[in-house]
Amino acid sequence: MSYAFIALYAVLTVAFGILPALYALYLAFTDAEGGFAGVGNFTKVVGDFRFMPAVGHVALYLAIWLVALVVLVTLLAIVVHAVAVRWVSSTLRLIFYLPGALAGASSVLLWLFVLDPAAGPIGGLLHLLGFDSFVEVIVPANLPPIFAVIAFWTGAGGWIVIMYGALNNISADVIEAARMDGAGRIQIAWRIQLPLLRKWISYMGIMSLAAGTQLFVEPQLLSQASNAIVPNDYSLNQLAYQYAFQQNDFNGAAAISLLLLAIALALSAVFVLRGGLFEKD
Amino acid sequence: MGETAISRRPRRLSGAVRGAGILAVALTMAACNGGGGTGDNPSGSYGFPQVAQDDKAEITVWVDADRAGAVEAFKKANPAVPVKVVSYDGSANGSNSFRTKMQLFDRAGSGWPDVVFSTQNNDAAWASQKTGGKQAFAAVLGGGLVPKATLDGFTPGSLNPCTVEGKVYCLRNDLAQAVLWYNKTLLDRFGYAVPATWQDYQALGEKVAREHPGYIVGTVGDAWTPEVYFWASKCQANGITGPKSVTVSTGSTECKRAATMLDTLIKNGTTPNISVFTPEFVKKYAGKVLLMPGPAWYAGAIFNNPQSLNVPKGQLGVAAPPAWQGETAVTGNVGGGTWFISSHSKNLKAAATFAEFVTTADDYQVNVAPGYPAFAAAGDKWIKKQESSGYYATDLRPVVKAGTEIWDGWGSGIFSQEAIWAKTMTPAIAGGKSLVDLLPEWETAIKNQAQVNGYTVK
Amino acid sequence: MPTTRAGRPAGVTGRSGRAIGTAVVAIFVLFFLIPMAWLLLATTKSARGLTVGSPFTPGTLGDLGRNWEQLFAFQDGAVTLWVGNSALYAAGALVITVIASIPAGYAMALTRFRFRRLLLVITLIVMLIPNTALVLPIFLELNSVGLIGSPLSVILPMSFFPFGVYLTYIYFSTSIPRDLLSAARIDGCTELQVFTRVALPLAAPIVALVAFFSFVQSWNNFFLPFVMLPSSDGYPIQVGLTSLLASTPAFNPSSAGSESVQLPTLALATVISVLPVLIVFLFSQRFLVAGMTAGGTKE
Repeated sequence: MSYAFIALYAVLTVAFGILPALYALYLAFTDAEGGFAGVGNFTKVVGDFRFMPAVGHVALYLAIWLVALVVLVTLLAIVVHAVAVRWVSSTLRLIFYLPGALAGASSVLLWLFVLDPAAGPIGGLLHLLGFDSFVEVIVPANLPPIFAVIAFWTGAGGWIVIMYGALNNISADVIEAARMDGAGRIQIAWRIQLPLLRKWISYMGIMSLAAGTQLFVEPQLLSQASNAIVPNDYSLNQLAYQYAFQQNDFNGAAAISLLLLAIALALSAVFVLRGGLFEKD
Repeated sequence: MGETAISRRPRRLSGAVRGAGILAVALTMAACNGGGGTGDNPSGSYGFPQVAQDDKAEITVWVDADRAGAVEAFKKANPAVPVKVVSYDGSANGSNSFRTKMQLFDRAGSGWPDVVFSTQNNDAAWASQKTGGKQAFAAVLGGGLVPKATLDGFTPGSLNPCTVEGKVYCLRNDLAQAVLWYNKTLLDRFGYAVPATWQDYQALGEKVAREHPGYIVGTVGDAWTPEVYFWASKCQANGITGPKSVTVSTGSTECKRAATMLDTLIKNGTTPNISVFTPEFVKKYAGKVLLMPGPAWYAGAIFNNPQSLNVPKGQLGVAAPPAWQGETAVTGNVGGGTWFISSHSKNLKAAATFAEFVTTADDYQVNVAPGYPAFAAAGDKWIKKQESSGYYATDLRPVVKAGTEIWDGWGSGIFSQEAIWAKTMTPAIAGGKSLVDLLPEWETAIKNQAQVNGYTVK
Repeated sequence: MPTTRAGRPAGVTGRSGRAIGTAVVAIFVLFFLIPMAWLLLATTKSARGLTVGSPFTPGTLGDLGRNWEQLFAFQDGAVTLWVGNSALYAAGALVITVIASIPAGYAMALTRFRFRRLLLVITLIVMLIPNTALVLPIFLELNSVGLIGSPLSVILPMSFFPFGVYLTYIYFSTSIPRDLLSAARIDGCTELQVFTRVALPLAAPIVALVAFFSFVQSWNNFFLPFVMLPSSDGYPIQVGLTSLLASTPAFNPSSAGSESVQLPTLALATVISVLPVLIVFLFSQRFLVAGMTAGGTKE
């Protein structure tokens, strides 16, 4: 009977979780005629002149984003947690997390507006920073921070709310005791709150790292909106897309996808098996 | 791990994949409403395999926003033909959306639009070829689908970007030869002469920088900068020598002289790095464009366009493209869109009617189109109409003449020169680097892009 | 703007600490709020008003109406079609997700069977993989069986939702005592009856939670439909936005034609593209937090 309960889910798991991965594996190790290609596809894509720049772009973006996420989310959660007035605190959390409703293309579009000095809401600020045109704003050097800002804007709120919840779980007695000992607010945050948030911070970091390697929609739309000054092979997923649909090289595309998948799998496996978050089962 | 272990894997996998296949096929049957492409007329009367035809079928037309006017004109003239418009980016600036989407439709086995407009000239290179065992997207037009008289009516050479191995695969929308646009009123007021050579042009630019700072003689903000300046200088950046071979050499004198000239003019502020289509450009330079080498379609697209520079009547003049001293003048070409008919169309007749209409009929090409029509008869009328409008300060003979002067050493490869320029050069120019220094980088970028597209590079 | 009075319990920090906290919060409130507020205001302006006027003055209802008309006239009502597609895909995936996840999570939590642990580990691992990572592999797979272009090519992959199974698993393993099920079995219920008569009636909250997450994720999905559904007729609104973007002269300068879309119209499209999710979000903060928290812990 149990098998009947899980049947549909198991079929979906096989069809859209396991088989695609295996099929990508098969394609990545074969050539266009279906013959065994060894690591040929991997050496080809890694040797592609677009590959290393794409790795560099994604890595830089991730570095900026993860640091911002860890530092700012923790800081904001602790600060908001310190707000004593109930409705203020809950309003703040709502404001922070509402942008999460705008994901994918919508949030990128919104930020295209925001970053346009001619029409956007922060045109004055952009002019002040020396940007007079949209093209100047989106020069390649600015892209990693721009993508990090977009990702932070949509994603941070949810994490702030979660951290806030975790902070609520710290018993008031512990804080009170620390205060009796003469600990200031900053010391309490540093000595008591931060260590208890560690698990959440690592969870957030790993999830975000895995998601960040998949960068696609942001550069894809920016490429369209910048007349290709942002190239359409900016990120690894875009490169895989180019391989599949421009060069018609599914084996190469599969090789890139597999590399990306391997990173994501490794991260989540490490997390599940050793992270201690799912300890009980 | 030994090799056997790896090589055994595919066989095991294919069994599993087949299993999924059965599952998915069962699902397809519920959802699929005829994949098209099966059991079709294998040869077709036009020289390519075609599907069963239905003269009443609606045709789907992909155009960029600019070409919406063409569809409207067609609908007005042919109300009986059902047309559905889908707007897309026109594959502009090397986005390759035309190609990638058609490859997706190839995979899907259905969904191809009947007629597609592309702003690029490099689509015939792929659209004429089979991909992944699927028939070529582009219908052969010379095999009876489009009357020979119509094809012959195009300006000689204008169908070159559409022609692969002697067969025509698309119709040219307009000729996009670069000419020298200038503001006659301003030029007269400042007491300058129209430059006949690029040396004069540069000298004039330097003079303008000194005497009338703020006025400009060109731009390098758009991805077609190489086509306007480097093509016209016979720079061998895009020497397509065969279906899969290209010669790239940007270290030549021809390339360097253009780069040096632009470096000087960029530095002195007379050739800004701003796209002519941006609001900033309009804001900063409306009324300040003294000279502007650029394609024929600049006339309607930026000068005589209330949304853009909006140059008043009687001021805009046009001159032949400058020559390099001691050489005969040649010029470049910036796009000049192309219309493709899908070989998968269910209503080839309507599709062909449509493509013929938008490229040849006066209702669109003469009365609406911003650029110089590629269809000769329409081209003549367009020139007459433009001249008689009294808008221009000069006659338009230089436009016609420039059409015959396009240098043939610059080809239509499968990859986009504009995308390469936008990616590697535009940001570097914005960063203040000199074009002369960037030439080797440009060459490498072109070679790389050609190689990943399967070209043999020399 | 809400002001914060940080640190009511006096004497903990100095005034300067409080001021810094307030400043930090204020800056981030602006950061999160300005883009959204501006977007809403932008939909009520004319194209000229948007570039000329001050960014935070509201426009007029008349302009909103005109933008609305322009948007829905685009390509003979393509936007309506796209929103409809989004609804179809998200709803289809939601139904299958719920049908697949609830029994599976139940079985994994409260029954014993071979491969249970394996399935659980796979679920956990796949759950943490970003869903974009599998898009191209799924495309390659569905391509080999000729399913590209069909609505099923997005609905089915979106219906594979291990996170939903995991949520259900946690719910059932923590909130339904095993004794209750044993008692039902002793009363002569079959396994199916145990599920339908005992477990299911208690599962309303988890069904809602799974449905919520599935809907949000499917509605916002871009990459999957982008590759699976190349035809404009099949776009969900998220992908349709790129079509509108391509017709907006400010971002695609060469598109200055009669079909061109002005900035406020594009802003309106952006708002419409997120409206359903935004509404769901407004009323479900607790949901969302519960779910995301569950993703990281197991009590």
